[in-house]
Amino acid sequence: MCSYHEQDRASMGQRIALDLELVKGLRFFDPHIHMVSRTTDDYQSMADAGIVGLIEPAFWLGQPRTGIDTFRDYYSSLVGWERFRASQFGIRHFCTIGLNSREANNEALAEAVMELLPFYIYKEGVVGVGEIGFDDQTAAEEKYYRLQLELAKEAGLPVQVHTPHRDKTRGTSRSMDIALEHGLDPGMVIIDHNTEETVKEVLDKGFWAAFTIYPFTKMGNERMVQIVKEYGPERIMVNSAADWGISDPLAVPKTAALMVKSGISKVAIELVCYKNAITAFAQSGQLDEGLLNEKIDVDQGQKFEGNSILRGGQQPRRDTGSIIIS
Amino acid sequence: MNGVNAGWVADQVAGYIKDNQWEGLKEKLSEIARSPQPGLVAQVFTAIPRNVKPSAQQLRISFGEVEGLGPNPVPVIVRDWSVVQLLRVWFLSQIPDLGQEAYVALIDRLFKYSDMEESVSLYAALPIYRYPKAWQQRCIEGIRSNIGPVRKAIMVFNHYPSRFLEDEKAWNQLVLKAFFTDEDIPNIIGLNQRNNPNLAQALTDYAYERYAAKREINPMLWILVGPYLDERAFDLMERIIIESQIPLEQRAIAYAFKHSNYDIAREYCAKNDRFISLSDDSGTPWEAWEY
Repeated sequence: MCSYHEQDRASMGQRIALDLELVKGLRFFDPHIHMVSRTTDDYQSMADAGIVGLIEPAFWLGQPRTGIDTFRDYYSSLVGWERFRASQFGIRHFCTIGLNSREANNEALAEAVMELLPFYIYKEGVVGVGEIGFDDQTAAEEKYYRLQLELAKEAGLPVQVHTPHRDKTRGTSRSMDIALEHGLDPGMVIIDHNTEETVKEVLDKGFWAAFTIYPFTKMGNERMVQIVKEYGPERIMVNSAADWGISDPLAVPKTAALMVKSGISKVAIELVCYKNAITAFAQSGQLDEGLLNEKIDVDQGQKFEGNSILRGGQQPRRDTGSIIIS
Repeated sequence: MNGVNAGWVADQVAGYIKDNQWEGLKEKLSEIARSPQPGLVAQVFTAIPRNVKPSAQQLRISFGEVEGLGPNPVPVIVRDWSVVQLLRVWFLSQIPDLGQEAYVALIDRLFKYSDMEESVSLYAALPIYRYPKAWQQRCIEGIRSNIGPVRKAIMVFNHYPSRFLEDEKAWNQLVLKAFFTDEDIPNIIGLNQRNNPNLAQALTDYAYERYAAKREINPMLWILVGPYLDERAFDLMERIIIESQIPLEQRAIAYAFKHSNYDIAREYCAKNDRFISLSDDSGTPWEAWEY
């Protein structure tokens, strides 16, 4: 989510020109990004920047859905079309499936969605229940958060928890308390959208702490560098949460580049931008590092057919620097 | 491709399943045979990757034609399948007859909730389902898919479309879409038998469009146009056979000329020694093609 007012340049900090040479050869994993809202250009630049895998949590689409069929089609697209689209760029696409907090407030619909979830959470490549948790912190949100924690426990899946924007610190504590109350192992729960205010408690309680690098409204990556310097790399992971708002699908490699510049060790960078997320979500049994090391079966011998991205083969590259389109 | 039978496949399948899970899976199958609860069918179908030995997860399997998998007299072609796909198709072949309405509803539900890999298996299994004529709309829907592996599972090495897609327009859409998406055209089963003048016409139009865009034209297109060659097709082919720098393209056109019923083309070919040698089909994808 973003506010659309002009930002004061001075408030945006020092500008450092984009130079991904700093992280050349490193591999990245973005454990939170909403690719249904992104273009093929984003996939291309993510692959170029070294992103080899990603997790797309089920979320809302910018406006509330009004029927169960649109939920089903959305979940199907996460395990179907979007998985294929990513593979065309050599990127492994995983997802977490759940009922998001905002739409939990439509109780009639939420009930129907709960019946739908078991059809999807056991699919290949579904690495958790998510993103679930609080938005307004209403009674309905709490009800469906609890029900989905039980579902995750039954399925043996990790949980990806969205923490609220408003009243964040209390909302985060409450999310963790409820998870513990339901008997979840904190090592199976990824608390997302952390800030300087929440990180200590999350780590102290044994949960994974995810940070969303999202311009203007969530974390900036200079702040992220400070957090890694202060808390070290254990159980910390970075994501972009790029979606339909003003966001950055290269947030993970850019943050890694800034960490290189700031003198953070390559080992630590690899943990927070790649390994920790894989370790956390590999507990689903649906993801392992070996899978990410395998080259995706993209048939480069085939040629592209002009009109849409219809192909089994790897995608051809547009010449973005030319006014000629052929 | 030597034919193998369903019993042999069952033996193969057993070898890929984790040792302690084969009995459990067989138990579930007999439960399904006794009382096929849609929920249980969906659960077993989805969970199949969890039954496969880690050592078999990455294997790709080619058996060639499998006879007798399912009740239809139509073989399944196992070609470069994952173990999970083989297991899933075999599992689908074990679903008992429930009467058409219930049987179709059961399989349709699997399609409706399928992920990408499940879709591929469900479409690859088209030849084995009971009530084969009932799957025509499903097949047509699958041909429209934007997901490459799903389309491929229907278009290539699959006997269902040529045998059961009764509507010529639907068949022609399959072939046209295969050209648009650059599928493995020579391995579309029934391509020769189902060839028709309307398809040749649409392919000729497509060739003109590609030519105008200066994009390559798949040589197999000319092989399909050949039997229905007319003046319009001939004009373009004559231009291309002279301009082309691609030997296979020239050979396809020469072959189409030589085997056409269009006198001008046959004479054109006969007058040029070069074209007679070009029309030789040895080593081409259309070598096995018979007019």
